[in-house]
Amino acid sequence: MSAHTLDRTAARSTRRRTDQPGRARPGLLPLAFAAPALVLYLGFLVWPALQALWISLTDWDGLSDQQNFVGLDNYLALFDDKVVGIAAVNNVLWSIVTIVLPMTLGLLFAVVLNRKSRTSPIFRTIFYAPAVLPLVSIASIWAWLYDPSDGAINTVLRTIGLSGLEQSWLGQDSTALWSVMIPAVWVRTGFPMLLYLAALQSIPDELYEAASMDGANRRKQFTRITFPSLRDTHYIVLALSLIESFKVFDLVYAMTYGGPGYSTQVMGTWMYANVFQYFNAGYGTAIAVVITVVAVAAGIPYVRSQVKSS
Amino acid sequence: MSPTTRWGVGDDPSPTRRGVLTAAVAAPALAALSSCATGIATSSGADGLTLLNYEDIDAATLLREQLAQLETDSGISTTVDTVPGSGAAQFPDKLRTRILGGNAPDVWQIWGGQIGQPFVDADLTQDLEEYYGTYGWDSALSTSGIDGMTFHGARHGVPLNVASLGAWCNARVFEEAGATIPSTYDELETANELILASGVTPGGFGGKYGWHIMRLYEYLLEVCAGPDLHDALLRGEESWDQQAVVESFDLFRAWSDRGWITDGALGVAPADAEQSFVQGTTAFTISGPWIESQYIVPSGKPREEFGTFLLPTGHESVRHSGFIEGLMISSTCGAPDDAAALIDFLVQPDVQRSLQNTQSAALEAPPDPEMFPLSAQWAQIREQSEIYTIQDQAFPKAVADSYFAVQSDVLQGALDGPQAARDMQQIVSDWTETR
Repeated sequence: MSAHTLDRTAARSTRRRTDQPGRARPGLLPLAFAAPALVLYLGFLVWPALQALWISLTDWDGLSDQQNFVGLDNYLALFDDKVVGIAAVNNVLWSIVTIVLPMTLGLLFAVVLNRKSRTSPIFRTIFYAPAVLPLVSIASIWAWLYDPSDGAINTVLRTIGLSGLEQSWLGQDSTALWSVMIPAVWVRTGFPMLLYLAALQSIPDELYEAASMDGANRRKQFTRITFPSLRDTHYIVLALSLIESFKVFDLVYAMTYGGPGYSTQVMGTWMYANVFQYFNAGYGTAIAVVITVVAVAAGIPYVRSQVKSS
Repeated sequence: MSPTTRWGVGDDPSPTRRGVLTAAVAAPALAALSSCATGIATSSGADGLTLLNYEDIDAATLLREQLAQLETDSGISTTVDTVPGSGAAQFPDKLRTRILGGNAPDVWQIWGGQIGQPFVDADLTQDLEEYYGTYGWDSALSTSGIDGMTFHGARHGVPLNVASLGAWCNARVFEEAGATIPSTYDELETANELILASGVTPGGFGGKYGWHIMRLYEYLLEVCAGPDLHDALLRGEESWDQQAVVESFDLFRAWSDRGWITDGALGVAPADAEQSFVQGTTAFTISGPWIESQYIVPSGKPREEFGTFLLPTGHESVRHSGFIEGLMISSTCGAPDDAAALIDFLVQPDVQRSLQNTQSAALEAPPDPEMFPLSAQWAQIREQSEIYTIQDQAFPKAVADSYFAVQSDVLQGALDGPQAARDMQQIVSDWTETR
C-alpha cells in the first residue's frame, strides 16, 4: 500500500469517527472559544499595527487632523537622515554587546551555580535580582555611579591612585554608549542564566558519569556534552535577546537622552523624538515600522523552531 | 442529544452555552469600542475640570488647597494632574500623548514660544481674546507675559509665570575665594580664576538634555553679539556664520577648557548641577527664582549664604534670558467659561501669594521678601533689565536639539568656532526655509 493510499484510509477513518451519532462536529465552536482572545489581538495589536503602517505613509504631525498621503517618502528620507545612520550603528553595537556578554556570563553563572550547594540559591537570586528592577531605577542608580565629580566609579579610581582613568562617562561621545551598555549587561545576565540553569538540569547525569569513566575531563565534558545539549536554549536566548536588543529604549533615554549630541541615539529613541517631540509622526512611525520589521525578522527562526518542536 | 439539552434553549431560563459564547465575544469587542468612544470625548462639564501641569508635589499640594477654596466659593471643581520634574524636554510629550489618547485636560500649563505653538497650530487651544476683555487680564498681568502667550497675533494662553534667569551664587564661596560680584564680563572671568584657585568649580551646569548648559552659551552669545544681533540670529534674520558667533563658541569652549564649568558637564543632569551649586560644589549657576524654593530652602542652608546678580554683558542694555509659562484652554473643553474662571482665580494676586509663586505674571504679586528674600532681590534686579527669548523657546524642539548637538561638539573639541558657526547657520537656514 502506497503512502498516499494510507493517508486516504486514515482520513476516511477519522471522518467515520467524527460522523458517529452523539459526537458533535467541532464546526465553529473552537473559533468561538478563541474569539475573545482573537478580538483583543485584532483590536489591540493588528489594528494599531495597520494604523501605524498607514501613518508611516503620511505627513501627519501627530497633533492635527491633517494626514496627507506621501507614499514612501518617509522611508526614503531615512537614507538622508544622518541620525538614523548613527542610531543604526549604535543598535548593531548594542545588539552585539548586550547579546554576547549576557549569554556568555549567563551560561558561565549557570554552569557554576548548577552544582548542589547551600549557597547556590543565594547566588542565583543575587544574579537574577537586577532583572526584576525597573529600568528607570537602574538608569538613575548607574547615572549616579557615573557622575564625573561625585560618582562612585571615579571616586574609587581616585582612591586607588588611578585618577588618570577618570572619565566623564556619560558626557563624551567616546564612552557614553559603552557606559549605558554596562548596566544593560548587568540587567540582562539573569534571564539567560535562568534558562540555562533549567536546561542544564534536564541533561542526564549518566552522560557525565559515562564521560568520566571514559576519561573526559571537565573541559571536554562541557564542550562535548553540556554545550551541545543546550542548543535549543542557545537558540531561544539568542532570538529573544535579539528582539529585545533592537527594541532598546529605556536605558538610553533615561541615562543619556540620546546624547551627548546624537551620539547615543538608537532607533527607538530617535523614533520617539520624531513622533513625540518633533511633531513628525509620519516619519517617526516609519522608523517604528523598520524596527518592527527587523525585530520580526529576527524572531522568525525562533518561531519556526518552536513550531517544529511542537 | 436533543437540541434543548445541547444548547439549553427553549424554556430553560439559565444562560445558554451559545449565549455565554456570544457574550464572551461581544464583551471585549464592546469594551474596545466603548473605550474608543469614551476616548474621543473630553472631560469637563458635570465631572468638573481637569488641569495638567508640571508642579512638584509641594506646589501641587498648595494648588489643590486653593482649588478646594474655589470649589467652595463658586462650585467649580478641578482635578489637578501633575507630572513633576518633567521639564520642557518631556512635559509637552506627556501632554501630547494625553491629548491623542482622547483624554485632553481642559486646562494645561505650557511654556510660550515654540514649545506652546504646535498645540495652537494644531487647533487644540481656544482663542481667549473674549476672556481677556471679561476679566481685564491686560491690566492685571505682565505685558511681556501676555506677549509670550500670543501666537500668530491671537491670545491662546494666559501667562502664569514670567521666568527670568540670572546668576545665583554661593556668597560664602565667593568670599572665601576673594572674588567679588562682577559688574563687567572681565570681572566675571577674574572671579572664575579666583574661585577655581580656591578649589571650587565656578559654574555649575548640566548638559544632559542640552537646555541647562545652553543658558551659559546664550549668555556668551549675548556678550559677543549684543542685543540686536542676538535677536536677529534667533529669528533667523542674520547669518550665524559670522565673527560674533565664532567668538561666542570659542568663549564657550574656553570656559570648559579652563575648568570654569562642571567637569564632564555634558553628562550631568540639570537637577544634579543645581543641587551641587546649593551644596557648594560650584560657585554659581544660571537659574530662576524657583531655585530658592525648590533647592535652597529644602537644603536648610542659611539664605545669607546665597546671592543673585545680573550677568554682565558689557552692552548698554544689559539683558537677561527669560521665558513665559502660561495656561491654555483645550479647544475640546466642554465648559470653557468655567475654565476661564479657573484661570482668572489662579492669577489673582492673593492666590499667587498663597501658591508661593516667586515669578508670578500677576503684577500685584511680587515675591514675598520675608519668605523668599533672594527671589525678591532678583525681582528688583530684573526690573532694571530687559529679557531676550531663551533659545529653546526661540527654536522648535528639533532645531534646538540640533543646536544642542553643536554645543556638545564644541565642548568636546569636535568642532571649532568657525565650523560650529557654519553648522548653526545650516541648521537655522534649514528651519527658516520650511517655516
